[in-house]
Amino acid sequence: PICPNGSVNCQLSLEELFDRAVKLSHYIHYLSSEMFNEFDERYAQGRGFIAKAVNSCHTASLTTPEDKEQAQQIHHEDLLNLILGVLRSWNDPLIHLASEVQRIKEAPETILWKAVEIEEQNKRLLEGMEKIVGRVHSGEVENEIYTPWDGLPSLQLADEDSRLFAFYNLLHCLRRDSHKIDNYLKVLKCRLIHDNNC
Amino acid sequence: PKEQLPPEKPIIIKCRSPEKETFTCWWKPASAGGLLTKHTLLYSKEGEEKVYECPDYKTAGPNSCYFDKKHTSFWTIYNITVRATNEMGSNVSDPHYVDVTYIVQPDPPVNITLELKKSIKRKPYLVLTWSPPPQADVRSGWLTLEYELRLKPEEGEEWETIFVGQQTQCKMFSLNPGKKYIVQIHCKPDHHGLWSEWSPEMYIEIPTDF
Repeated sequence: PICPNGSVNCQLSLEELFDRAVKLSHYIHYLSSEMFNEFDERYAQGRGFIAKAVNSCHTASLTTPEDKEQAQQIHHEDLLNLILGVLRSWNDPLIHLASEVQRIKEAPETILWKAVEIEEQNKRLLEGMEKIVGRVHSGEVENEIYTPWDGLPSLQLADEDSRLFAFYNLLHCLRRDSHKIDNYLKVLKCRLIHDNNC
Repeated sequence: PKEQLPPEKPIIIKCRSPEKETFTCWWKPASAGGLLTKHTLLYSKEGEEKVYECPDYKTAGPNSCYFDKKHTSFWTIYNITVRATNEMGSNVSDPHYVDVTYIVQPDPPVNITLELKKSIKRKPYLVLTWSPPPQADVRSGWLTLEYELRLKPEEGEEWETIFVGQQTQCKMFSLNPGKKYIVQIHCKPDHHGLWSEWSPEMYIEIPTDF
């Protein structure tokens, strides 16, 4: 084990912290992607949801890198803060997703289980990222980036089509944001741990 | 004389990115009854009202549009259409929604080596090594590739396919002495995208005393 029993003040190396964070982000995105695909196949076929799910993620106001050049030029502390901001912004919606998804008609167990698992793992990743930021940050941690989510009422709408679109959009945004986090963490790990030579 | 008509609806065939930095879309031109027909690709990006025209109709050949790095964004939905126009009128394709994140299809792996090794303690084995396709920037972590290899005896029918994750080497035991094998490798981005074509066939003959 990394920290043998009884060892005092045992600290994981930054490399070990990044290894765990990347494994977790990879797993969370895998689950998010699977959940989206399952929901899309079961509830969204032929409803034209993709055309409506444009520019409607609650985290859209966070300016995140959109290509390789931007991801490589941004300072690592800023990128870490962005990752934290996106993770924090998903705490609230994931809590409600895990409970509201159970009210979907014939929601398969596999979707229910994934919603709960993602909420749990997202919290773990947030904790891990706060440790990494604590290690890497040179100065005072800046004001916390966070975007509020006001989507709960739309998950509870009476009209089924509107309610299903609300779920579709949330899962579409979760798939997108979890992929961003996973990609940025892989870039940061290669930059900070492997000197851009992964 | 033959009746002259406006063009039929063009069809967008596919869009692909070879290295998660640029992408190209191809369309099937509309049949236009012999009249000179011009095709225009138009696109808008999620969160923007503005409509743009294809930045480069040439680089990727006829009936295509190439988006260089400057025109390629990820985690963003492109709404793409193609309009065919002749002197009798015009017709527009159905919209094609693309997020470049999901259309990455890399080139095959390169520099494949096969080496027979004999180790004292353990059975002799075959070591395969390869490199990512040159265009794919895996060093910076922007693109992470996964690999799968397949092999079969030269005269055999059934391929044995083995997923090897992100590693770029593999040791193979329990190969039959005296047999000649064919080996190929392909790769795919982790999570999303499409498998590359298989690499060219490589042959290795296992010596009878192996």
